[in-house]
Amino acid sequence: MYKLLLIILTPLALFAHMNIAVSYPYIGAITKSIGAEHIDTIVLANGNWDPHFIVPRPSLISKVRNADALIMNGAQLEIGWLPPLIKRAANPKTNVNAKTFLNLSNYVALINKPQSVNRSGGDLHPDGNPHFHLNPNNILVLAKTIKEFLSSIDIEHSDIYEKNYADFSQEWNKKLTLWNEKMADKKGTKIIQFHNVLAYFLEAYGLVNIGAIEPLPGIPPSSKHTLNLIKLIEDEKPYAIFHDVYHSTKTAQFISSKADIPLIVMPHDVGALESVEDLTSLFDYLTSAIK
Amino acid sequence: MKKLICLLLVASSFLLADTDFDQLKTQMSKQQLTIQKLEEKIEKLESANLIQEQTPQIQSGAFSQSKFLPDISLIMDASYVNRNKKDSEIGHLEVPGVIHGLLGSHSDGDITHSTYNANSGFNLNYAELAISSAVDPFFTMDAIFHYSQNGVEIEEAYITSTVLGHGLKVKMGKFLSNFGYLTEKHHHLWSFSDMPLVYQSFLGLHAINETGLQLQWTAPTDTYLMVGAEILQGENEQMFGRAALGDEENPIAGESSAPSLFVAYVKSSFDIGDTTIFGGISYASGSSRLDYSGLEEPYVFSGDSSLYGIDLLAKHYLDSYSYISLQGELLMRDMDGVQYDLNATGDVVGNANLRKKQAGFYTQLEYQMNQSYKVGFRYESIYKNDVISDGINQNEANNLDKYSAMLEYRTSEFARFSLQYSRNNALYNEDGVQQSVNTLIFQANIAIGAHGAHSF
Repeated sequence: MYKLLLIILTPLALFAHMNIAVSYPYIGAITKSIGAEHIDTIVLANGNWDPHFIVPRPSLISKVRNADALIMNGAQLEIGWLPPLIKRAANPKTNVNAKTFLNLSNYVALINKPQSVNRSGGDLHPDGNPHFHLNPNNILVLAKTIKEFLSSIDIEHSDIYEKNYADFSQEWNKKLTLWNEKMADKKGTKIIQFHNVLAYFLEAYGLVNIGAIEPLPGIPPSSKHTLNLIKLIEDEKPYAIFHDVYHSTKTAQFISSKADIPLIVMPHDVGALESVEDLTSLFDYLTSAIK
Repeated sequence: MKKLICLLLVASSFLLADTDFDQLKTQMSKQQLTIQKLEEKIEKLESANLIQEQTPQIQSGAFSQSKFLPDISLIMDASYVNRNKKDSEIGHLEVPGVIHGLLGSHSDGDITHSTYNANSGFNLNYAELAISSAVDPFFTMDAIFHYSQNGVEIEEAYITSTVLGHGLKVKMGKFLSNFGYLTEKHHHLWSFSDMPLVYQSFLGLHAINETGLQLQWTAPTDTYLMVGAEILQGENEQMFGRAALGDEENPIAGESSAPSLFVAYVKSSFDIGDTTIFGGISYASGSSRLDYSGLEEPYVFSGDSSLYGIDLLAKHYLDSYSYISLQGELLMRDMDGVQYDLNATGDVVGNANLRKKQAGFYTQLEYQMNQSYKVGFRYESIYKNDVISDGINQNEANNLDKYSAMLEYRTSEFARFSLQYSRNNALYNEDGVQQSVNTLIFQANIAIGAHGAHSF
C-alpha cells in the first residue's frame, strides 16, 4: 500500500519543479539554458523527424497534461499534431490563451509569407516560413523571449533567468562573430534544397536558394519536376543540394549523380544527426557545410 | 515639377554667375547639391501625400465579425462499388442470430437504412461539414453534419470543457463514444472503406453515437493512463434502446428510464523506442428495446445488454512518413431478455426468454510505405454466436468471417484514393444458405478547409 502511495505521489512531488513542455528540441535547448536547474524541460518532438509530421502519440498527452507551461514554435508548424494533444490533455495551463503558453513565432519577423494562400499551391504556411530558428541571430531573440516568459510565470527566480540569459547571449555573440567570419566569403552561393527549411539560415549569410526537389511545398517529387531541376542545376551551377534528414534522399541522389552536384545532409534541429547535440554544434555543422 | 525647379535653378545660377570660370564651377556643384536636396524633399512630400491618399477612413467594417469565423472543413466521400450480388439481393442478406440486413439499403418500417457503399456502381456516401471553435474561455464547440442521400444528420454537436484542470475533461451534447478504438473515429479516418463486421453487426454504422455526457480523466503519471465514463440516452437501433414497444396505451414492454446507456473505459499507452503500444478495455451496459415489427417475421425484443471490448494497437515508425501497425479489437456481448413474436397486425402470438452471447474480432496489419502509399490487410470473424431461446441453443452459425485487402494512394494529406477488395462469408440468405459476397470498392475521400489534425 505504501509502495503504491509512493508511486502515485512521486510524480506529484516533481511539480515543485516547473515542468516546461516544448514542441521541438531547439526550444528545449534554449529553455534549458535560461531555466537551468529551476525547470524541467520536456521535449515533445524528436529532432530527427519531420517537424511538420510529429505523431501525436498518447504518451505525449501525459507530457502536456503534466506541464506547467508550453512553448511552441508556432507559424502553423505544429498544426498537424499539437492541437489534438492540447485538446486531450485538457490542461488549462497549456490552453492557447493561457499566460503559461508561449508562441515564439509572434516574436520574430517571418519571411516567405505567401501572397495568396490556396492549397493548389501545396501545403503552404500562411503566416510565412516557420523555420526561423535556423537564423542564428534569431536564437538571441528567442532566448530573450523565453527569458521574459519564464520570468513572468516564475517571478521568484527572475534574477537567475536574467543572469542566465546574459551569460547565454554573451557566449552566443562570440559564436555569432565566429560563424560570421566563417561565412563571410560564402555570400551569393547558390544551393538547392528538398524543402525550403534553411530559408532563414540562407538569409542570415546571403546564400541563395534556387530550387526545391519538391515541386510544391508538401508535394512529393515528380519525374517532370526532377528533370527540370537537373536542367536548372546545369545552367545555374549551384554549390550543392542541401538535404534535410527526414525525407528520402532517393531523388536527391539521382539528381546528384545526373547533374554532378554534391549532396549534403543538413540538420534542422538538435538531435537531427547524432553529432548535433546542442545549438552550438547545430550551427557549427551548418556553417561548415560549404568548404 | 522637379524638372521645372531644376531648370529655374540652373538658369538662375547662370544669371548670377561670375565671369570667373572656376568660381562658376564650384557654384554649379553647390547648386547641384541644393537641387539634390530639394528633389529628396519633394520625393518625401510626394510619398507622404501618397500614403494619405491610400488610407481613407473605412467605416463599413466597424462591426464586422469575420475574424470570429469558426474553423470549417468539408469532407466528401464517394465510391465505385462492384459486387458479385445484385443490390436487390444484398439488402436481404443477414448475419444469422446477429443482424437482419447488414449491407446495402433495406427498409425497416418507414425508415430506409443504408450502409456506406450501399449500391453497386457509384455512391455518394456523404458530404461532411465540420465546424469548430472556442466558445469562450471555458468551452470549445464542435459540430459535424452528415449530408447524405438519406438526409442530414447531426452526427456530432458537443461542447468540451477546457479549464477544469487536474486532467479532467467534460463533453456534453451528441458525440461518438470513446468505447474501444474505432468508435470515436469518423469514417474518413478509418483505414478501410467499411466498418469491421463485428462493430457493424453489433452496433450499426455509427457504433455508439449518442446524446449525453462524457467525463474523462488523465492520470498525472508519466505513462499515459486515461479513465472515462459516459452517461448516454440509449438510442442505438441494434443493441441499446429505451422506447416502449408495441402500441402506446398497452405496450408489450414499457419504456425504460432515461438515460439508459452507460459506458466506461480505461486506456493506456507507452512507447518502446519508435514503437507505440496503445490499448484499452471498455464496457457498455444498457437497456434494450429493439423493434423488428417491420420484418417479414415480426418480433420485438425487450431486455438488458452488456458489451465488453478489448483493443490493442502496436505501431512502429520507420521514419516520419512510414510505419507498420498491427491493430485489433475484440467485442463480446451479452443480451438477456424476452422475444415477443408478433403477427401481421402487431399482436403478440408467443414469447420466449432470449439470451444472446456473441463475440467477434477484427485484426488489421497496415504498412504506410511513404507519404503516398499504404497497404492493409484485415481479417475478422464472429466466432461465437450462442442464441439461447427458452434454454435451448439455436445452434446458429459461428463461422462468420471476412477478409479484406486495400491499397491507398494520396496526392496530398487532403486527398485519399483507395482500392479495397473483400470477401465476406458472414452472410446468409433468407433460406439459411451461406453466401460469399465479394466486393471491390474504389473510394475517394477528399477534404477542404481547416487543417484537420488527427489524434492517435
